[in-house]
Amino acid sequence: MSFILRRISTTKTGKQIIRDQALPGDTITLGRDAGNIIHIADLAVNPQHAAITSADGRHVRVAASEGLGFDFNGRTVDAADIDSAAGAELRFGGHRLTIAREGDDIILLVERIDELSQSSKDVDEAKAFSLAGVMPGKRMGAWTFGIIVLLAFLIGPIWAWHSFRNVDERPQGYHADMAWSSGPLSSAHANLKGDCQACHVEPFVAVTDKACVGCHTGEHKAMSMAHANAPTAMLLAARHPPGVGERILAGFAKTFNRPQGRCVDCHTEHEGAGPMPATPQKFCADCHDGMKARLIDAGFKPTVADAADFGTLHPEFRPWVHAAPGAKPIRALGKAPLDYNGLKFPHDIHLSATGGVARMAASFRGRYDFGNKLECENCHRPESDGVRMKPVEMERDCAMCHSLAFETVGGVTRTLRHGEPDQVVADLFAYYRSTPPTRPLQLGGMERRRPGAYAEGQVYNIYFREVAVRPNRAEDAVRAVFSKGGACYDCHTIFAPASGNRWRVQKVVQSPRFLSKGWFDHADPGHAKVECATCHTEAPQSKRSEQLLVPGLAPCRTCHVGENGATIAKVKEPTRSSCAMCHEYHSDGGKPWMPERERKKKVAMVTDRPPREVYAVTAITGPARRHLYDVTWRTPVLGFARQGG
Amino acid sequence: MASLFQRRRSKATQTERVRERRHEGFLRYANFRWAKISGGLCLLIIVSYALIDVTPRPSGGTWYGYTLGTIGALLILWLTALGYRKRKMTSDYWSLKAWTSAHVYLGLSLIVIGTWHTGFQLGWNVHTLAWVLMMLVILSGLYGVTVYATLPAALSNNRDEMTQMQMLEAIRAFDRQLHAAAQPLTPEDTAPVLAALDEDPFAGGIMARLSGRYPRCATAAALGALRVSRSSGAEAREKVVGLLSQKEAALARLRQHLRIRALLEVWLYVHVPLTFALIAALSAHIISVFFYW
Repeated sequence: MSFILRRISTTKTGKQIIRDQALPGDTITLGRDAGNIIHIADLAVNPQHAAITSADGRHVRVAASEGLGFDFNGRTVDAADIDSAAGAELRFGGHRLTIAREGDDIILLVERIDELSQSSKDVDEAKAFSLAGVMPGKRMGAWTFGIIVLLAFLIGPIWAWHSFRNVDERPQGYHADMAWSSGPLSSAHANLKGDCQACHVEPFVAVTDKACVGCHTGEHKAMSMAHANAPTAMLLAARHPPGVGERILAGFAKTFNRPQGRCVDCHTEHEGAGPMPATPQKFCADCHDGMKARLIDAGFKPTVADAADFGTLHPEFRPWVHAAPGAKPIRALGKAPLDYNGLKFPHDIHLSATGGVARMAASFRGRYDFGNKLECENCHRPESDGVRMKPVEMERDCAMCHSLAFETVGGVTRTLRHGEPDQVVADLFAYYRSTPPTRPLQLGGMERRRPGAYAEGQVYNIYFREVAVRPNRAEDAVRAVFSKGGACYDCHTIFAPASGNRWRVQKVVQSPRFLSKGWFDHADPGHAKVECATCHTEAPQSKRSEQLLVPGLAPCRTCHVGENGATIAKVKEPTRSSCAMCHEYHSDGGKPWMPERERKKKVAMVTDRPPREVYAVTAITGPARRHLYDVTWRTPVLGFARQGG
Repeated sequence: MASLFQRRRSKATQTERVRERRHEGFLRYANFRWAKISGGLCLLIIVSYALIDVTPRPSGGTWYGYTLGTIGALLILWLTALGYRKRKMTSDYWSLKAWTSAHVYLGLSLIVIGTWHTGFQLGWNVHTLAWVLMMLVILSGLYGVTVYATLPAALSNNRDEMTQMQMLEAIRAFDRQLHAAAQPLTPEDTAPVLAALDEDPFAGGIMARLSGRYPRCATAAALGALRVSRSSGAEAREKVVGLLSQKEAALARLRQHLRIRALLEVWLYVHVPLTFALIAALSAHIISVFFYW
């Protein structure tokens, strides 16, 4: 028996050369040290690693001599007994020791099976030196990202649309198609932000008016009266001829199924939170700029003048006036129009700082809210919303000074019935019939008498004659009341009867709204901060009530300029004013859009969180009366509404 | 007719030769032709945006917005086509260099086209997502152009006229020598050397590649351990220490090479996948506009 060390080397052509070498002795040492019988140049092998012995020439014992063991059948062991006939594979570091039997000899085959070092391993140059080895592939990234985006932002939203197709109102919460929203909705529509289908009903169909009137029932007319009553041909003739660009746009609009003239053309959405933006001036000026000539060319009779921009091109106001006493109201033409409202009222006397009126007002200072003289607001009261003035009412606005009292009964003053001349006549007749003349003191009256018996008989005669004729005096009193110097005549135009007592008073007509097409808000903060006379410039000099004191265009233009700031003269603090600031298209009686900077102010009040105190109060009172306190934080808004919104 | 084309073709080839000789890159191609075209386009858009008053306010939904959007979307698709075009090389009309030059400058003009298309209205939606992806793609491309212009010199300096396989071969040679030289060492000294041999020169993730820092480098650790070790014979140990420091230097060169290559390549891993994400977002953006018309 002998141990034979077999070495196999491979030539470049792949041919294997086997060299056998008989090893001396019965104990074969194995290790890195050169003194070993089997020398393995492997750093992972100990200098004296193991000893291989065989007692019977068949069974081989391998025992590790130092701490490091070896691998045998996959396990690390310190010693192993091996039947060489069956053979075995042992592993020392990067080398494999195969034990086999050939005839009487035990063959020890030693081969290096591991690479010398990691760097010696074969590498794919293109992959190893580039990032491809450490990064996931670009193609995979492209697919992954692309599919994620498509799922989240295309398939998801379409699925959301599909699943709520026949649902009236979507549940609250997130819906995938909210990612398609191009911007926040206006505050009025804010609650629809999760419900895209409320407006976008059909896919690939532009939002229709049907979606709008689904909620906006009744309060909006489809068109203003003027536009709705006009023949279609006239409306078409009014439009300015489209330019090249507009024709191209119209072509695109038609191609992409986006019809013109829908509600959303003017009422644009997704333009940001807050109130919906005012319709731009362009939508009006498209027709109204140069419309008159176009209408005449087309054979229509224009009823309105051209308007393009408030700052530069806007016709003079045409307030409703009564051109003659008792005439029907018409729109005024020309400057300084007259409005016969049936009253006699010289504004100059009443507003004068000196004179009887001012003296009287000053004497009433404690009783009424008068100052040293009369002010406009002493007689002109605003409507509850503050927008316009209430018609002047005699009892409320004039009677403080213009008393109709004629008798005091037990401390109560009796007054003539205002507005009913027949009653006045009847009351005066009744008064003269039922009351005797004041009784002289000589006859037991209460008046002071002269000392001595002075003309007693005369007094008696005068008094009783007066008593006898007193009922006839009524007629004189009635005439006096209705004639110059009388209570009625001062303010009213009186028609005297040919005979009898059928006195008639000219009917008083006060226009509730002079400018019916435009909107002027007296309570608007910008308007409220200036004196009345700033705009009603002629009031302090006006001698006749027929003189209409409604301001013209000029005072407005001292602040208001066109939508883009266009002006004729220089304006110190310009307020950019689109058509929609004063004009409303739908004629629903509502207030038109207000200027942007004020809109913001009010929005803040509505959308701001309620102050802490509100919750504090709720915490004390409990939730039962919650609604009562809910409104507290909105008070400023209501306050605004009181002043006119 | 045929001769006419022939002549023009040969003239183009000649121009190209001149360019080759001057070493004219894609950035200064044809005397910055595409930079001028792209700059002019941007200027036109910025000026016309300021002059045109769209109602109610500038946004992607106005006629001007649609125009810019259409230009931008078509441009994005054309820019993406570079990935296809670069695999098909030609040298005369529309050479790859011309195409790349146009890709870079027109791609930069997308910043203006895309941003002005939004009317500066951005939000948390698919439309802004498309814009953000577009900007990320452009910025990564801008990074790519910058590193292409600056890093190749550093790469060349570091290479020192070696190929990258030669760098690897140097390490392999040091490993073989180390293995032989370390044979006399004691087991406690061979362990760190073994670890150094067992170290993969390409190991380390993307962060190690980009930073070039390998704090757990086994070669450096072995060098440190053997310098202080006293267990083996001094002569053998010194030889191993010398080989280890040589291997460390070779490894450092390879790693610097890998770092510069990573810096040169990494932008494409953003640029390309995000381009496809952008095309997906762009499709969603366009379809959504027409779906909820």
